[in-house]
Amino acid sequence: MLGKLLKYDFKSILKTIVVFYILASFFAILTRVFFSIENSLVMNIIGQICQGAMISMMFSIIINTLMRSWVGFKQNLYGDESYLTHTLPVTKTALYISKVLSALVTLCLGVIVIVADLFIAYYSEEKIELIKNFILPIAENLEFSISFLIFLFILVVFVQISNIMQCGFTGIILGHRMNNAKIGFSVLYGFIVYMASQTLILAITFLVAVFNESFMNLFVTAEMVSLDVLKTALYMALISYAFILVIVYFINVKLFEKGVNVD
Amino acid sequence: MELLKCVNINKSFGNKKILEDINLTVPRGKIIGLLGQNGTGKSTLIKIINDLLTATGGEVLVNGEKIGVESKKIISYLPERTYLDKSMTVDKVIEFFTDFYDNFDADKARRLLADLKLDTSLKLSKMSKGMQEKVQLVLVMSRKAELYILDEPLGGVDPATRDYILDTILSNFNEGASVIISTHLISDIERILDEVIFIDKGRIILHSDCDELRTKENASIDEIFRRMFRC
Repeated sequence: MLGKLLKYDFKSILKTIVVFYILASFFAILTRVFFSIENSLVMNIIGQICQGAMISMMFSIIINTLMRSWVGFKQNLYGDESYLTHTLPVTKTALYISKVLSALVTLCLGVIVIVADLFIAYYSEEKIELIKNFILPIAENLEFSISFLIFLFILVVFVQISNIMQCGFTGIILGHRMNNAKIGFSVLYGFIVYMASQTLILAITFLVAVFNESFMNLFVTAEMVSLDVLKTALYMALISYAFILVIVYFINVKLFEKGVNVD
Repeated sequence: MELLKCVNINKSFGNKKILEDINLTVPRGKIIGLLGQNGTGKSTLIKIINDLLTATGGEVLVNGEKIGVESKKIISYLPERTYLDKSMTVDKVIEFFTDFYDNFDADKARRLLADLKLDTSLKLSKMSKGMQEKVQLVLVMSRKAELYILDEPLGGVDPATRDYILDTILSNFNEGASVIISTHLISDIERILDEVIFIDKGRIILHSDCDELRTKENASIDEIFRRMFRC
């Protein structure tokens, strides 16, 4: 049944987001075309406009994936459609997992589209060489390959956004346990849960810093930290956010299993 | 074993008590009217049975088991509102029901929709509210369920449509199944009922066989209801 739920949830989010995928790709192609025409001020200006539109579409992909996931979660599980969703012969856990997985997959797809569009718009051997030259010293110091460093960085951003998304779900679940002002309470609780998760990450980081002198520099000095600290920070961020994601997931499932009160 | 059993169901919203000590047993093969004025707790009780609300106290048992996946397989529920994704076509909704309900008869649904001369390639958003409600009724009655729960199926529709709805219910519910119909339009529904439950201020004040009640009170259910709920 989870597969069937995923099919419908995925379709539901994607049918809105796909418009932004197409628009971002369209402007990426235009950006490349107009920037490739040399010695033309007009073409350059149009290229700049297309570049701006492409970047705003890229932000829209991420923002709308989050918004669409939250709106879908609310409509399906607490709105009119909940009368169908909660009477389907599936467990509440399956309903929640489907929402989270479909949102994560869409988010992942969004990141892939953004990276692909950046390649479409800007790829050239010289630019790749330039980026390589910029990243290589950092990657070598960290004993990473360039592609692994980029992948790790994207992964950290991905888990951070996933955390925001799941905190939003928690906010909606908690907000709808209230009798009145459900939307207001949903936003408030979502914000509180997000701030709590960030505070927890800060606390974990500080705890590590107590036992790691160079890491403590993050808290006590405003100077540039060493690359070694950056390596630890990247791994720390990844592990901490994964930990928070799992914790919030179990809290949400527990809350959800307690039952809902739809309007 | 009883098809449905509600034991000491209580429901409060804040300090306001909506249901108080509801005890109810629904046998198989009966059409039961859940009757009461607006705002007396009928829909709240139905929502608790369908896992849409969490009871403050008590428990609901379907075939002796708590509400869950198994109970949802055998309960076919028609809510008082339009609840389908309006961006879907009727064909897609039929596909959705086929995907999730093993006991859904897609052919029967298509036959009933054809009787309504309804274009199944049409999106729900392009249909009138009345037509959407008919689609929902058809979908709900096309399941071979053991218990049909219909919340205000006659609310806000013209007399001709009421007749269509009642005929659809009568001619399509699964043999041996029970039907709970919540309404305050008693005269329209009286002829099809086997049992009635009167609910007032969150309490069941009467649960009786219809024929016995009529004989005892020498009046129709509608008249008895009017007498009991006179303002």
